[in-house]
Amino acid sequence: MKRREDFVTKKLALLIDEDLCWGCDACELACKQENHLSEGSRWIQVRTKGVQRVNGKLKLVYSPARCLQCSHPPCQEVCPVDAITQRPDGIVLIDYNGCIGCKKCIEACPFGVMQFNQEKGVAEKCHLCYHRIDQGLKPACVDVCIGRCIYFGEMTELVNRYGERRWLSGRNGNEKRTSL
Amino acid sequence: MKGLAGQDERILRSHCRICHGGCGVLVYVKEGRVVKIEGDPQCPISRGTLCPKGIASLQLVYHPDRLLYPLKRKGPKGGGQWERISWEEAYDLLVSKINEYKNGYGAESIVLGYGTGRDNEAFIYRFANLLGTPNVLTAGHMCYGPRVSTSIITCGNLPVCDYEGNPKCIMVWGNNAIISNPDEYKGLYLSDALAKGAKLIVVDPRFTKLADRSDLWLQLRPGTDVALALGMLHVIMEEELYDKEFVSNWIYGWNEFVDRVKEYPPWRVSEITWVPEEKIREAARLFAKAKPACIQWGVAIEQSINCVDNNRSLIALAAVTGNLDVPGGMVFYVPPPVMNASQFGLHQLLPPEQRKKRLGREVFKLADAFAIINPRFVWEAILYEKPYPVKMVFLISSNPVMTRANASMVYEALKKVAFLVVSDFFLTPTAEMADLVLPSATWLEMDYVAEIWKRHGFALARQKVIQVGECKSDHEMLLELGNRLGQKEHWWPTLREALNAILAPSGLTFEAFLEIGHLQGKMEYRKYLKKGFSTPTRKVELYSTRMKEWGYDPLPKFREPPESPISRPDLVKDYPYILITGMRPTAFFHSEHRQIPWLRELLPEPLVEIHPETAEKEGIKEGDWVVIESPRGRCYQRAKLTLGIDPRVIGAQHAWWFPEKEAPEHGWKESNINLLTDNDPSTCDPAMGATNLRVLMCRVSPKKE
Repeated sequence: MKRREDFVTKKLALLIDEDLCWGCDACELACKQENHLSEGSRWIQVRTKGVQRVNGKLKLVYSPARCLQCSHPPCQEVCPVDAITQRPDGIVLIDYNGCIGCKKCIEACPFGVMQFNQEKGVAEKCHLCYHRIDQGLKPACVDVCIGRCIYFGEMTELVNRYGERRWLSGRNGNEKRTSL
Repeated sequence: MKGLAGQDERILRSHCRICHGGCGVLVYVKEGRVVKIEGDPQCPISRGTLCPKGIASLQLVYHPDRLLYPLKRKGPKGGGQWERISWEEAYDLLVSKINEYKNGYGAESIVLGYGTGRDNEAFIYRFANLLGTPNVLTAGHMCYGPRVSTSIITCGNLPVCDYEGNPKCIMVWGNNAIISNPDEYKGLYLSDALAKGAKLIVVDPRFTKLADRSDLWLQLRPGTDVALALGMLHVIMEEELYDKEFVSNWIYGWNEFVDRVKEYPPWRVSEITWVPEEKIREAARLFAKAKPACIQWGVAIEQSINCVDNNRSLIALAAVTGNLDVPGGMVFYVPPPVMNASQFGLHQLLPPEQRKKRLGREVFKLADAFAIINPRFVWEAILYEKPYPVKMVFLISSNPVMTRANASMVYEALKKVAFLVVSDFFLTPTAEMADLVLPSATWLEMDYVAEIWKRHGFALARQKVIQVGECKSDHEMLLELGNRLGQKEHWWPTLREALNAILAPSGLTFEAFLEIGHLQGKMEYRKYLKKGFSTPTRKVELYSTRMKEWGYDPLPKFREPPESPISRPDLVKDYPYILITGMRPTAFFHSEHRQIPWLRELLPEPLVEIHPETAEKEGIKEGDWVVIESPRGRCYQRAKLTLGIDPRVIGAQHAWWFPEKEAPEHGWKESNINLLTDNDPSTCDPAMGATNLRVLMCRVSPKKE
């Protein structure tokens, strides 16, 4: 069997610079509109621990949580009906016709970003707006962002352009906060 | 055009108005229905971005609870029983009631009103002035109006941060410009300026994300802004950091101003404001030395007894540091070549004898000069018929039961008034008490030459994309009503002709304007070099000749908030904390949008911010329902424990009602912070009548079931 790393030839990703996220929730609403999400299903969600004291200083960080399109998706491994697949560009897709709503994938996701659509009884999550990117557009959350902190593209390219800088320095404090 | 138009989809360009407006949008329409709203990358104001509220307009327009046709009260007032009527019947009723009260009690007995306004201000003022009523009830006494009026008497026009001119330092003063509309420009510009490396000073009692990003955060005692600004000016004078050339040529009353500032040495200011002396000095130096620098200000400092002097002292900071009307400083934008809202308002046609009847004009003279009234006088005129009875209140996009101080009094007054008309999207707690309700069009259902009241240099094209029910834009409704009331010579037969008249100075028709999308005035800096500042002395009046004329202190000074541990030590035992009410969530615009599922999901319930130490002392845990009480009333909000607020301060949210709860009350008393606020004129700004919504005393305790 072909190893998955070989299968995924070009991994597409959203890179979000959390230092620059204002926590305005625009990405979440853009996503809901684009993907016609029902109440309760939040494919990208701006999370925060609130104001924290870090080394004697107050900090407030917003973290937009969404599917990271894992290289080895734990959700895919646990799906009993093989309804979760991965495209060669890395996008992890759920086949809503195949999904039986067992929620195993939701439990398996280490980032807690899989959603459950109550109306349809299926698991859902961010798929990088593949219908848009297949037409040469960016995912809906990208351009709406006033912090301009959501980057979309091929992962190694993004890391070269934005990732290292943040990972090495960290704008405020020394944490590595940029998430892939 | 950007975007992915599906089959049979059209993309129309317009400008959003879900808040105070101004962001360019692309509206996707399929088979007569809006299917998607996106930011317009070509819009110079929003550049492709859009906030959650703008996107959720999609759920606003098609909301199942929207008012789709006019409703007339059936049964008792506030009884929740309605009868559908036609627009023709609604107009007939309006005309007969307006004529009845005008003939019986004078036009002043009819009060027009709007809240923050849905870009309908120009039409409402025109209608009121032609009707002959001097009483237009707005939020202008405590929001934006003070900035404009104070600026005009001080330096001739409203100075606005010139982000495009690359400020080196931005001082954000009581304004969470990123998530709430700062009126002239959007948070995007501030965000971009910071990304370019501008230094940031944030003055805010709460630790916001802006505070997190700042170089200096000044966590002041709520309500002491003017003292802090004068303290910074003290440092700037002491260390001679001011622009000497500008000061000697362009400041009126410098010596008097310096004498006043001398009363505010940093040690004293530190005692007043809780801000450490060294931080005051540091902020003053950073702001004065970075050139250019600007101040991003907002409504927070206006809802205060110090309203006018807060504004005056911030203008002084910008002026003495040489930052007025210079690139990257605080500038006076050049208006586009269209009729502005004030011209359209026809203020000159209000007869002088009617103007003299403006409610509260003897008390709040700066407000009167700008055709603004303090709401308390309207409630009193209804309840006690003094100085004369108000018989009809015609509210167009306003929900004062939620948003005006002393909600109990507002409620009683609206219950008593002989005839209440409300034009809105939904049956709000205010509309529920009306005799007649009109279904108002949203921004997606109207044509307009938009945002011509703002001093941002733009006129924006808003176009009607859809028709929903029988909803009508407020502009169209007022034009029609004006025509029916015999104001024909001052109106036009159709709205389209009115819009063409607004555009006439540009030579464009509305059709041509839609093609272009916006008009912008050609910017020119340092205009004062040619013609001075538009004030009586042609200079920046740090000593205000107008204020002196009206009998007010011509120089800014700090007044202790009317209800604080210092002014009311007698209350400290029962109400030990300072209550602030200005926390703005990203999901809502004042009392609006709580019925929109996508937005409500972002914030399902009202939150009150409490420091963990305070919470522990009061036995409150995260997420508990908390009783917040002031000497006047109480309400309930859920505890959000945060280190981002001083343990002595409690931060509540405003304007909460629950559309999903039973009509006609919709739970308006449950979490309404305005049951706690005061509207006594003695607690308002003496010149502007700004209501003190922001600094009260309170106690908090866990709600017992």
